[in-house]
Amino acid sequence: MTVLPTGPGGRRALSLAVLILLQAACAAFFLGDVLIDFEATAANDLAHVWVEGVVSLALVAAIVLQLIELRHVMQRTERAEQGIRAARGEMQALIGQFFDDWALTPAERDVALLVLKGIDNEGIAALRGTAAGTVRAQTAAVYGKAGVDGRAQLLSLFMEELFADDSPDDRAPTARTGSGNG
Amino acid sequence: MTASAPGAPGEGGRPGARDIPVWDPLVRLIHWSVALAVLLNATVLDPEGRPHEVAGYAVAGLVAVRLAWGLIGPGPARFATFPPNPAAALRHLRHWRAGAGTVHLSHNPLGALMVYNLWLTLLALVVTGVMMGTIRFFGIQWVEEAHEMAFDWLMISVALHVGGVVIDTLRTGVPLVRAMVTGRKRVPAGARVR
Ligand code: HEM
Ligand code: HEM
Repeated sequence: MTVLPTGPGGRRALSLAVLILLQAACAAFFLGDVLIDFEATAANDLAHVWVEGVVSLALVAAIVLQLIELRHVMQRTERAEQGIRAARGEMQALIGQFFDDWALTPAERDVALLVLKGIDNEGIAALRGTAAGTVRAQTAAVYGKAGVDGRAQLLSLFMEELFADDSPDDRAPTARTGSGNG
Repeated sequence: MTASAPGAPGEGGRPGARDIPVWDPLVRLIHWSVALAVLLNATVLDPEGRPHEVAGYAVAGLVAVRLAWGLIGPGPARFATFPPNPAAALRHLRHWRAGAGTVHLSHNPLGALMVYNLWLTLLALVVTGVMMGTIRFFGIQWVEEAHEMAFDWLMISVALHVGGVVIDTLRTGVPLVRAMVTGRKRVPAGARVR
């Protein structure tokens, strides 16, 4: 269970919320006291009570502004999360597109994905329960079909996509890596 | 706000269940702080002491912020999302008995009525409490009685409130208390969501 937020936006929202509530408790206390003092005070001391009252109202105004700020922080966090989610989804679709285009077999797709995640050949062999030699053959096949000469170049294909800022429709792998199946 | 995408299928352990963020940190902090302050005032704090008044004022501030948040807060916290609607509450009660469970991302119509009742009762407690401290109402019997009556009504309401939470949790399969702690409702696969 995640009780506390993890992202920077979430943490900021939480500390702002705590701050608001502490101030609200104080404001209520002052206002209640002002009400009681107002009645119990002789006319010549009323100035003091008025000052207290004005200070309380200023506190209330500050709280309202902070509530509005909290709302904005939460909206910004939500938008950022949506952006990350969209980017993640797009990246996944893009990787799938490349793999389709290179006509990878299901086993090769799995291996290629693990390569992209930065796992070395022994790790992949252990994860998939196959021999290291099998993984070497599969990665070689992937590199061959992708037209790259190794892990680093394969990664850079996708990095290039991340930094390209053309519209998604122009990102068909064939258009960029002509060597695809050849 | 977990590391994985919110609302992703399968998140939250059970296959097919969805974790949907509903209660923001402010709503959750207010709920448990109010519950704690009321518990303290009802049990350990001497009603005639200063701490009793301080805890009562804290409740006033917390509820006031929650009411403001009901106007400007995010969707599930807004009054407009759970308007007081007795007809809908009755319908909800009938559906409850019939066993059809719709998952509400904010309060369900019956819960909404209870929530307004709880807020009003808390405000009545604070107002009568402060009145007892003023010269005008000091020692006046009906004010003290009103404070006590409001407290009794609050206790009855909280009992019904917790009972309703338990029943709705069993009916819909959404662990509501967990949602008030983590902020996320875990909605079983295939549930009707509103
Ligand atoms: C003095 C005690 C309590 C008071 C005054 C109180 C009051 C409230 C209020 C005003 C709300 C509405 C929250 C909002 O929209 O901001 C609420 C919701 C809720 N409360 Fe309490 N509460 C109390 C105790 C408890 C306890 C002990 C539990 C745990 C069993 C609990 C569980 C919940 C849950 C799960 C919700 C959300 C209901 C939903 O999903 O619609 N409450 N409570
Ligand atoms: C959520 C808020 C509050 C709760 C749950 C609460 C609860 C109670 C309870 C249970 C009693 C004892 C009643 C009896 O004698 O049977 C009491 C008495 C009293 N409360 Fe509160 N109270 C709250 C807020 C306040 C506030 C804000 C004030 C004042 C600023 C206040 C002032 C008093 C006073 C003066 C008494 C009477 C003491 C006496 O003469 O015996 N209360 N309250």
